[in-house]
Parts: sequence; structure tokens; C-alpha cells
Amino acid sequence: MNWDLVIFYYLAIAMIFSSVFAIFSRHPVYTVLLVLVMIVHQAFLLLTLGAEFLTAVQIIVYAGAILVLFLFVVYLINLRKETKKNIFIRKVSLITIVFLLFGALLVKNLLILISLKPSFKAYLPFNVEEKSNVWWIANYLFKNYLLQFEIIGVILLVAILGAVFLIRKVKTAE
Amino acid sequence: MGELIDKLIFTVIAAVILLVIALLHVAYLTYAERKIIARMQQRLGPNRVGPRGLLQPIADMLKLLTKEDIVPYGVDKPIFYIAPFISLVCAGTGVALIPLWEKFVLSNINVGLLFILALSSLSAYGVILSGWASNSRYAFLGGLRASAQVVSYEIAMSLALLSVVLMAGSLNLMDIVKAQINSPYKIYLIPQIIAFFVFIISAIAECNRVPFDLPEAETELVAGYFVEYSAMRFAIFYLAEYFGMVVMSALAVTCFLGGWIGPFEVPYIPFFWFLIKLYFILFVYIWVRATLPRYRYDQLMGLGWKVLIPVAIVNLFLTAFLKLIV
Repeated sequence: MNWDLVIFYYLAIAMIFSSVFAIFSRHPVYTVLLVLVMIVHQAFLLLTLGAEFLTAVQIIVYAGAILVLFLFVVYLINLRKETKKNIFIRKVSLITIVFLLFGALLVKNLLILISLKPSFKAYLPFNVEEKSNVWWIANYLFKNYLLQFEIIGVILLVAILGAVFLIRKVKTAE
Repeated sequence: MGELIDKLIFTVIAAVILLVIALLHVAYLTYAERKIIARMQQRLGPNRVGPRGLLQPIADMLKLLTKEDIVPYGVDKPIFYIAPFISLVCAGTGVALIPLWEKFVLSNINVGLLFILALSSLSAYGVILSGWASNSRYAFLGGLRASAQVVSYEIAMSLALLSVVLMAGSLNLMDIVKAQINSPYKIYLIPQIIAFFVFIISAIAECNRVPFDLPEAETELVAGYFVEYSAMRFAIFYLAEYFGMVVMSALAVTCFLGGWIGPFEVPYIPFFWFLIKLYFILFVYIWVRATLPRYRYDQLMGLGWKVLIPVAIVNLFLTAFLKLIV
């Protein structure tokens, strides 16, 4: 019995089902909760790869901060009418075709993945037993990808400044 | 395989022992809180059940277990049922990560500190969801306040802990304690006094305790997010709050007060100094509750964003700077 595989399939199936239910749920609070379930499973998937740091960051950032803000917004806007609508898409349209194609692609990749029967740790680009993965991530971020990291920092700063600018009170001259 | 099963059995036994001890601590923390606040307010406190009221927590527990579990009309049932358990699990799991002694930590993981922060950020869900699912104005307002408060104070708390991580050079709680023992002052309280105060204030806010107990402010919101709960589910919220206090205090002991280290070895009780420090911090929590009035909401947000976070960031920069020089 390969426990790695059992755990992986449990996590993968739970993630797929919670995402699908999150899309089809008409109730915004339940949608947020299902996304929470998905994110926690994703965090555990990272844990099976030995990436403890990413697991913790995933939970702190996505589950602890972003989804809490989503819930906050869902509470503040009135969505009573939305929850009573039943049918998601009425017409068979281009979206359906794209959706089906994407689904087929996903299934094909899944089949390939199953036929590989992977030992997951062999796919890691570095050895997590040798040095802690905090060290590895810091090493990659601040040596190999320093420029990209700085650019992301600047983009986020611009976003913050934009948000502050939008909510700024304009003092009219009296 | 046999070795694995042995390890599993050992872990389960250790976990059960730890859980029982933690539950006893939580139960008697409520007793200590009532007694100490009574003393500070010139009252006697509980003194009817057992000698000096020592059996009061057990009587309370029996009462809450046998009460009727009321589910009000119009609540969102699945979420209403599950919310207290989310609170309790997220608050209680942190105990497993705290190194009580050099040779006793249930789960020694490399990023233990981050996991405790992750759990404390998840425990906000119990409060927010119970507030929403109760279908009551008071509970809803309590839930909204709690979510904003927890998200704001988490940042200050993480920044305060980051300076400790910088000093120790590790996110592993065991390594942090060992680094403290090898440092010149033995504890990080002296070099990191600013971070310590930021951490304690934000920990009080994270646990929704006085003076930051706006989510459950009795005078305005009756009891805030758990106003519609009764019997055992009410008790679980209570347990979660006290578990949160114990975990946050234990984290303060681990990260700032040197964990199990003490001025001299106490024979047969390796946890002695850890427990003394833990009890002192818990006493400070109770002391604060008996002394300070509640903050106003804008004051609470102002303190978090305009005082604690800048102070923590400056402290973090100073620590990094000193670490570069030394």
C-alpha cells in the first residue's frame, strides 16, 4: 500500500469536488466556505511534498486573510435575489464548448499522471531534507529571481497607492 | 511497519495526556480568573462548591452539559452547528506545537511558529461564521467586528514575532528556545522588549479579551457572536477562548521568556519554569481584564494600524540592522 498515493488521491479528489461545488453553489457564504476547504486541502498537498513553509503561508495568506475579506464583502452586500436563481447558464454557448475542451484536456493530463505512478518527492527541484525549505525559497527568491521579486513588490505598492487614492477624501476649498 | 505503529501509539498517548492537562488548565483558568478578579474588586468570588470553591469549574461543566441545546428559528443550521468546533480545534491544536521541555514536544516541525499563526488566523472563521449563521443583529455585528479586528492585529503580531525569528535564525520553536539559551541575555525579553509588548497587546486582541473585547461587548452587543448559543455549544466557545489564551501565553513564553530555562534546575519537574512563566502571563491577562475599560472601535483600529504596526516594523528594521552589524 502506497500511502503517499492514497493521500494524494484523497486530497486531489476533495479539491476537485470542493471547487466544482463552489462553482455550482448558489449561496455566496457556502461558496466561500467550499473555497476554504479547497485551499486547506491544497495546503496539505504542499505538505506532502515537504513544503511546510508554503503550507503555512498558503493558510495564513489565502485562508486567513483573503477569504476572510471575501466573507466580509459577502456579508456587506445583499445577495438575497442571487440565491433564489437556479439555472446557471441557460443557453448552450461558446462558453460550454470551451469548458468541455478544457475538461477534456484536464482528464487527459490526469490519465497521464495516473499512468506515471509518481514518487512525488523525486519531482522536487531541490532536496528538502538537506536544508529547510525556508532556506531554499529565500535562496531562489533573493538570488535567482531577485529582479522579478522586486518588480512584484513595486506592482503591489502601486496597487496599495491606487486603493489609498481611491478612498481619499477630497477636501473642497470653501 | 511495527516501528511506525509504535510511534503512532506513543504519539496518541502523548497527545491524550497533553489534551487532558491542557483541559484541566483551561478549566482552572476560569476559576483563577473569577477568584483573582473578585479579589481585585473586593469580593470573595466562587466559594460554595468544594473547599474555597475549587470544584466550581466542574460544577459549571456539568451544568452546561445537561442544559438544553437551543437552536433558534431561522439559523443556518450546518454552519451554526459547526462554527464552535472550528473555533475550538483551531485554538486547541496550537498546544501540540509548543515545546514544553527539551525532550517533550508533541510535534516538532520546522515552521512551528508559522503554523501557530496559521491556526490563529483560521480560528477567526469560528467567530465570523457563528455571527452570520445565528441570524441575529447582535451576533452579526460581533462577527463583523471580530473579523476586522483579527485581520488587523494579526499583522502586528506576525511582525513582532518576525524580529524574534530574525534573532534566532529559525522558525522552529525548539530552535528558537535553544538560540535564546545560547544568547548573552538567556531570554529575548531584554533585546526584544518592544516586540514583546507589541506581541502581548496583539495577543490580547486576537483572543478578544478586555480591553479589546468589542466582538463580545456585553454593554452594546449582549454577548456578541455567541449570543444565540446555549448549553454545550456555548461552553465550546468559552473553551476556545481560554485555549487561545493558553496557546498565546505559551507562545510568548517560548519566543520571549526562554521556554523551559530557569535560574536553577528544579529536580523531577522539568516543566517547572515553563509553567511559572505561563502562569505569570495568564495572570497579566486577568489583571488587565480587571483593570482596564473597553476601547472604542475607532481607537482599537487606530492603535492597531497607526501605533502597533509601525512600531513593530521599526523594531524589525532595527533588529535586522543590528544583526547585520554584530
